[in-house]
Amino acid sequence: MRRAVLAGGLSLGLAIGTASLAAAPSIVGKAAPDFVLRGLDGRNLRLSEFRGQVVLVNFWSRSDGDSRQQMPALDRINITYQRAGLVVIGVSVDEDLRRSKEFAAAMSVSYPILFDTGTAIGKDYYLQKMPMTILVDRSGVVRYTAVGFRRGDERVYLDHIRELLRE
Amino acid sequence: MNLKHRIVSIAVCAVMLSAGMAIGQTPPPADAQAAPPAETPPPPAPDAPPPELKTLDQEVQGLKKDVVDLNKDLFVLQEELLFPANTQVALYISMDVGTFFALDSVTVKIDNKEVKNYLYTAREADALLKGGVQQIYLGNLKVGKHELVAFFTGKGPVERDYKRGATINFDKGVGAKYLELKITDRVPKHQPEFMIKDWE
Repeated sequence: MRRAVLAGGLSLGLAIGTASLAAAPSIVGKAAPDFVLRGLDGRNLRLSEFRGQVVLVNFWSRSDGDSRQQMPALDRINITYQRAGLVVIGVSVDEDLRRSKEFAAAMSVSYPILFDTGTAIGKDYYLQKMPMTILVDRSGVVRYTAVGFRRGDERVYLDHIRELLRE
Repeated sequence: MNLKHRIVSIAVCAVMLSAGMAIGQTPPPADAQAAPPAETPPPPAPDAPPPELKTLDQEVQGLKKDVVDLNKDLFVLQEELLFPANTQVALYISMDVGTFFALDSVTVKIDNKEVKNYLYTAREADALLKGGVQQIYLGNLKVGKHELVAFFTGKGPVERDYKRGATINFDKGVGAKYLELKITDRVPKHQPEFMIKDWE
C-alpha cells in the first residue's frame, strides 16, 4: 500500500515537473522585445537601432559568479567579431545602481554596459536565472538563448554567432 | 454597447473581405477553361515568362495590395476604437536648434500621474534636431480641465546636467486635443526654453 502511494506520488511529482518544464516560455523565434537603457558612459542605447547587425545581449548580475566568469569571455568575442558586424550589449539587472556601476567600471569590458533597475524588460525576456545570453539576428528575431555559464560555453556562442553573421 | 457594435461590424467586414479574396482566387468554371480561344495568340518572346506565371504573379501582387489595404483599415479602426476622437489626447515633441540643450529624457505627467517616460538615444535626438516631430504620447482624457507637466533632462550650456519643467493647464473639449512640447534656444540668454503649445 505504501509502495503504491509512494509510486503514485513520484509519478505525480514527475508529471508536474515535466509540465512546468514544458510550460517554460521561450522567446526564440520571436521578435526581440525592444528596450532603451542608459549606459555606463551616460549614453542611452536602444536595441532596435542595431537592426541589420547580429546582437548578443547578456543579462548579468554583480552578485552572480557565473556572470563574472562570462564577461571576460564575451569581451574577447566582442573584440574579435565586432568588425564582422557583431554587437555585444551587457545589461545589468542589479537593483543597486551605484554598486553595479562600480562593478561594471572595474570589469572595463570593451562593449557597452546598460543598467536596468526596473522589471519590465526582465518580464519581456522571461529572465529567471543569471546570466542569460540572447542572440538576435539581423532582422531582430531572437535565435538563441542560454541560461547560466560554464567554461567552454563561449564556443557554443561562437558557433551560433558565425552562423548568424553568415546569413 | 456602441463599442460592441463597432467591434462586431469590424469583424464582419474582415470576414467578408477575406471571403471576397477567397472567391477571387477560385478558378473559373470548367466550361470557361475548356472554351477555345477566339483567336490564336501570338507566340511569346523567347525571354518572356509564360503567361500563366505572369497572371499568377499579378494575382499575388493584387492579394498583397489587398492585405496591405486591409491592414491599414484595421489599424485606423483600432486607433478609432482605442483612442476615440472625443477623448483623444496626443502629445508631440519638437526641437529647434538645440545649441544650448542636448535632450536625454522626457517625463510627462497628466493630472499628477506619470503617463510617459522616454529616454532618447543620440540618433533620436539628432532626428529631432533635424526637424523631426515625434508623437510621444497618445491617450484618453475626460472632457474638462487638466494639467500637464513635462520634465526635460539633458545637458545644458557648458555640458552641465540640466533639468527643467513646463506646465500647461488645458481644457479638454469634445474633440481631440493636440499638444506640442517645444524645445527652443533663447539666444540672448544662452539658455534653452521649454514650452507647451496647445493646438486648438
